[in-house]
Amino acid sequence: MNNMVFGKYIPVDSLMHRLDPRAKLIGLFLMIAAVFVPKSWWVFLFIAILITIALLCAKIGIKMIVQSFKPMIMMMIFLLVINTLTIRTGEVMFMIGTYAIYRDAIFNTLFVIVRLLLMISITTLLTATTNPLDLTLGIEWLLKPLEIIHFPTHEVAMMVSIALRFIPTIIEETIRIMNAQKSRGVDFENGRLSQKIAAILSLIVPLFSVAFERAYELADAMEARGYVPGAKRSRYHILKFRFTDYLFILICMAALAVSIASRFYL
Amino acid sequence: MSLIEIKNVDYSYNDTRKAVDGITFDIEKGSYVTIIGHNGSGKSTLAKLITGLLPVKNGSILIDGLEVNEQNISAIRKRLGIVFQNPDNQFIGSTVKDDIAFGLENKQVESADMEGIIGEYAEKVGLTEYLDYEPQNLSGGQKQRVAIAGILAMKPDIIIFDEATSMLDPKGKKEIKKLMYDLAGDDTITIISITHDIEEVLQSDDCIVLNKGKLFMHDKPQKVFADAEKLRKIDLDVPFVELVREVFAKNKIKLKAHDLEGMVAELCRYRSDH
Repeated sequence: MNNMVFGKYIPVDSLMHRLDPRAKLIGLFLMIAAVFVPKSWWVFLFIAILITIALLCAKIGIKMIVQSFKPMIMMMIFLLVINTLTIRTGEVMFMIGTYAIYRDAIFNTLFVIVRLLLMISITTLLTATTNPLDLTLGIEWLLKPLEIIHFPTHEVAMMVSIALRFIPTIIEETIRIMNAQKSRGVDFENGRLSQKIAAILSLIVPLFSVAFERAYELADAMEARGYVPGAKRSRYHILKFRFTDYLFILICMAALAVSIASRFYL
Repeated sequence: MSLIEIKNVDYSYNDTRKAVDGITFDIEKGSYVTIIGHNGSGKSTLAKLITGLLPVKNGSILIDGLEVNEQNISAIRKRLGIVFQNPDNQFIGSTVKDDIAFGLENKQVESADMEGIIGEYAEKVGLTEYLDYEPQNLSGGQKQRVAIAGILAMKPDIIIFDEATSMLDPKGKKEIKKLMYDLAGDDTITIISITHDIEEVLQSDDCIVLNKGKLFMHDKPQKVFADAEKLRKIDLDVPFVELVREVFAKNKIKLKAHDLEGMVAELCRYRSDH
């Protein structure tokens, strides 16, 4: 559970790490749009090259990105099976026994898979290079316009920041409870479905109970340190846009422009 | 004049039993007060009432003349800090420096001033080289020291330690107790420590014993422990030195000292005299 790569922050000093989180979030949205627009393999290759350059600038190994794909493998296989069964247009590419596999089924699936992989790479790049607190500050800044309709942006950002802060603690707690239940004979890996559900319940119930207890104590600690939801606070981290941030956004915008243009010219 | 005045305070979580039952006592400015008692005796409830985390329904609590109620709560919280039992559940920031900054942000301290304040108090608790550490990379004692730094940075007059050492290993316990004794040496800070550690109680200026929500004893720790029979009635432990004194008293040797060194010196004198 501790080896989960997706969403993990890698604390190193790099060009990507030093970028303003707001610039990285804007870049993320632009690049995700750029991944969804094109229908040309050349544009996908262009975006993949840009991501590889960003990875090199972030001092993050390709291995980590490949590892972040692992949880998606089952979904991709499932997608491939469903598409080959349902898409029956285009020319027949090959036969499996008497069953014909169509070109559109294969290519449509590949398009979706490549888009998904590029999207995961972009998101992993963002979370690996931005510490959770900065990410929260960036999200809060992006949500700022919603304050006009009295959306509690600061409270939402605080909730996200606390949720991120408590992920390792809850994982630790989960492992502790799992070990405690295993020592009492609960088997989480083997057995019938009903036995597995019972095993999971023996984990979830105490986990929720502990999580609520922690939440109450944390609320007390926050209140005792003068936190009042909605009240004015000063900021320790003040975000500042620099030249490199503007340049980064410009590159992402250019990628989106290339992607849109490819729909008309390629 | 007393810094904290508690008058006839009652509190019950439900109607069956009072968690705090008609408690009245005062705490002097700059003193180090320990509160002892069994689990469920009302110690933590009392701490939450003093900090305003629970509303005072009956009786009154005054902090430097200011009543603890909804109107005064933000002014009171600026003067008071509490360190809880579980170091994990009070670590709010994602790094040590972010956690120390949390209270400063609530106090609306300017960003430019924060770095210096954070550095100063991280140094005070001996965590200067851990400022960028995340909570999962710190020991229990270190996390508790972060909590103390976060509170000290807010420059409170009163710090409440609610069993702050009970979840720590011996090394962590030692670190936090040393820090508490250092703070107790500063006459500008009043310390209230809820504890089960008898040795710590002996270091304090005053000891309050709670039993079933009621004030059972309130005196100097030596006087509290001198009445061992009374403490045994409510199944509380008596320090080793008091047990030694009791044994000698049974053998008609009356020792005056309340600390181990004093006792040894007295016994040496007794031996040379006889």
